[in-house]
Amino acid sequence: MMADNRVELHIPSIMGFEKVAMECSASVAKKMGFTEDRIEDLKTAVAEACLNAIEHGNKMDTNTKVGITLTVEETKLQVAVKDEGKGVGNISLPSIENKMEGKDKPRGWGLFLIKNLINEVTFEPSPEGGNITKMVIYLEK
Amino acid sequence: MNKDIQVSTSQKDDVSILNIKGDVTAVTGEIIEAAYQKVSTAGAKKILLYFDKDGYINSGGIAILIGIASESRKSGQTVRLTGLSGHFQKIFNMVGLTKYTEIFQTEELALKDF
Repeated sequence: MMADNRVELHIPSIMGFEKVAMECSASVAKKMGFTEDRIEDLKTAVAEACLNAIEHGNKMDTNTKVGITLTVEETKLQVAVKDEGKGVGNISLPSIENKMEGKDKPRGWGLFLIKNLINEVTFEPSPEGGNITKMVIYLEK
Repeated sequence: MNKDIQVSTSQKDDVSILNIKGDVTAVTGEIIEAAYQKVSTAGAKKILLYFDKDGYINSGGIAILIGIASESRKSGQTVRLTGLSGHFQKIFNMVGLTKYTEIFQTEELALKDF
């Protein structure tokens, strides 16, 4: 669905469907004039936000959906990813050393990647329940 | 068979090559791990992971590769990587995987002086 400057889609809470949101975001970013490099950054960030929503937010419950809203502005693209979960707690910075030594599980890179690839990211509760991950990526001048 | 990935193995001198075509994710990880275990059990000490430039790699896939890097270190193996797009080379640098495995721009360069 597209209303004014917004594109909305919903994906099932099934691993693999994050690619649908990823490709949709890439198409919008390409239309806005983002460079190929920044589109790749955006694709990874959107995929990771959706994976978090599927896995941790919605606990892979196939009765739930992940909502993605892309808002196009003159100088930036905002991507909001909404799940039906309770939000993210404090997450410590992953350490490759600890993971290599088996002190930590090898997983847990999603938020690290989002924070490092996108200009701004915030996590907030949704008024209707659930959690929203809001990401902003700016067009480079 | 998982349609999102195909992994084949080949040998060049004493280097075992895992040709990974498709997505590297938590879902496809089992197939990559199985291929790694197969060459590992056969006694491989030099392993080249040859990725698909157009493939999709996510955090779940990165975790699989960290697992392989960790296990290979314990087993005295050397793992090299090639075929990665510029974006995923950047991601692997970002997470620190390149401290434990080396990325090469081509298969030829990866096999040289292995």
